[in-house]
Amino acid sequence: MNNIFQIIQFTIREALARKVFISFGSIILFILVVTLLFFWLADLTTLTSVANQSGQNIMMREIVSSLELLIINPLANLGLLLAIFSSASFIPVMLEKGNIDLLLSKPISRAQLLLGKYFGVVLFVFLNIFLFVFGVWLIISIKFSYWDASFLTLAFVITFAFAVLYALILLFGVITKNSILGMMIAYLIFLIISPLLLWYKEKLNEFVTSEIVDTILDGFYYMVPQTAELMGMIMNDLAMGNGITNFQPIITSFLFLISTLVFSVFLFRRKDF
Amino acid sequence: MIAIETNSLSKVYTSSFGKKKVNALNELDLVIDKGTIFGLLGPNGAGKTTLVKLLLQIIYPSLGSAKLMDEDIGNYKLKKRIGYLPEDHKYPPYLTGGDVLKFFGKLSGLNGITLDKRIDELLELVNLSKWKKAKVKTYSKGMMQRLGLAQSLINDPELIFLDEPTDGVDPIGRKEIRDILLELKSRSKTIFLNSHLLSEVELITDRVGILNKGKLLREGTVKELTERKEEYKLTLGDELPGLSKYAYDNLIITKNHDGSYAVKVDDIRTMNILVDKLRGDSILIKEIVLQKNTLEEMFISLINQEEKGGNE
Repeated sequence: MNNIFQIIQFTIREALARKVFISFGSIILFILVVTLLFFWLADLTTLTSVANQSGQNIMMREIVSSLELLIINPLANLGLLLAIFSSASFIPVMLEKGNIDLLLSKPISRAQLLLGKYFGVVLFVFLNIFLFVFGVWLIISIKFSYWDASFLTLAFVITFAFAVLYALILLFGVITKNSILGMMIAYLIFLIISPLLLWYKEKLNEFVTSEIVDTILDGFYYMVPQTAELMGMIMNDLAMGNGITNFQPIITSFLFLISTLVFSVFLFRRKDF
Repeated sequence: MIAIETNSLSKVYTSSFGKKKVNALNELDLVIDKGTIFGLLGPNGAGKTTLVKLLLQIIYPSLGSAKLMDEDIGNYKLKKRIGYLPEDHKYPPYLTGGDVLKFFGKLSGLNGITLDKRIDELLELVNLSKWKKAKVKTYSKGMMQRLGLAQSLINDPELIFLDEPTDGVDPIGRKEIRDILLELKSRSKTIFLNSHLLSEVELITDRVGILNKGKLLREGTVKELTERKEEYKLTLGDELPGLSKYAYDNLIITKNHDGSYAVKVDDIRTMNILVDKLRGDSILIKEIVLQKNTLEEMFISLINQEEKGGNE
């Protein structure tokens, strides 16, 4: 456990030293400052009085949550793309000649090394995302004097979506010692495959007459991580205070994450460097 | 006690589709005693680094087995007792020299004051105390090597693998590294040295192995490997009346430029017969010296022989 902790600590230090992550943090701070300025200058008295007149907390909750989602939704998707781009090279850099030789000559198992790196990156991304979600929540809560901490759980959902995609980058990083293929596949799933499969599941499957095609597409739907659902339906439910109404996308994505990690460790333990 | 033992250790590299196979190490049997400095010599691509990587489980053997300090190499916890300086080691440029040692020290299971004390001791040992807080990106090649050496010693290992430790180090720095290695040996540490600098290996190693194309060609002490058993340099008080008088079937005698004589014999008895003859003729013998090759001469001749053998 101590070894994993050391690698996590080292990875966070590595991330802090990278300019790309400094830029990532700066973008988050910039967005927060702009949000703060907007709410500082904007006249929202009409909106707050309507909510207050209704005399119902539910109305206020809807207004606040909608505003929070309006800011978070596009930025979380953009942030996820940026996080993948910024962290994709961590694994190939670790596997470079001269780096990996030294690490493997120390009393640390290969599984500890790989998982330490993975959790280090995920933890760092979580800290960035949490800072962002917390900042938005704080600004809006102060402005409307309405405090509901359930919005903060979004940081965990966004990080979970990142963790699932990063497991893929880890796997392809181990196989190819390169970040490009993993990054491409992660983007492909996040931007195209997962939204398309969701669209198929919700709308298009009624039009598919072939049972074989339907079974195949259905199989794909459950096999591929459901990032579209995580970043859409699950996030909306949590922000609106409804809790998680459908656990299936979380369970299938979690199973995908675990199996990808296990396979990565299996390959890493057998690989020559 | 044995520090390193390999049994038919082999490594075959296969290309992606299995079309091409390279025997990087071929059924290597090697035993190295504890407390010795062992030098492994060989041309580029001989398999020297492959052997070290196999022993450290950075790569896995295709065949055979190995033990380090009587333990199977498969146990990663064994590395608590091992230090390693790879040939092209890289340290994160944003870390300071002290940070590098701290990170690898922590990975080796050290902590707190013990680790801090050890870092200061090692930086002092490799002459980098003043550079403790400087980022490694500002270090020269020689300084990186010295930091690498300190890193390999952070856990006070019993067995140390050094791959080209003096690469890029100036002559004074090299002498300092040699002194450190000799000091480690005096503390019963076992040192496995891969080096291209044969003169250096000759100066400090107890035993030497010569590897070529994955095969161990020779192994022994420097003395054993460099002695030319049948060749002597003979310095006399008088000039010989005629060389042919002393030369016969098993003895060839020639005059050197400095006035001494080179004598080649088939064995020591023949040399004794010559001495008897010379004394019988009342010729004063000032000196008889058994001739030696340098390690470099022996190495080049052995590799050349191997190449010729391989080509035939």
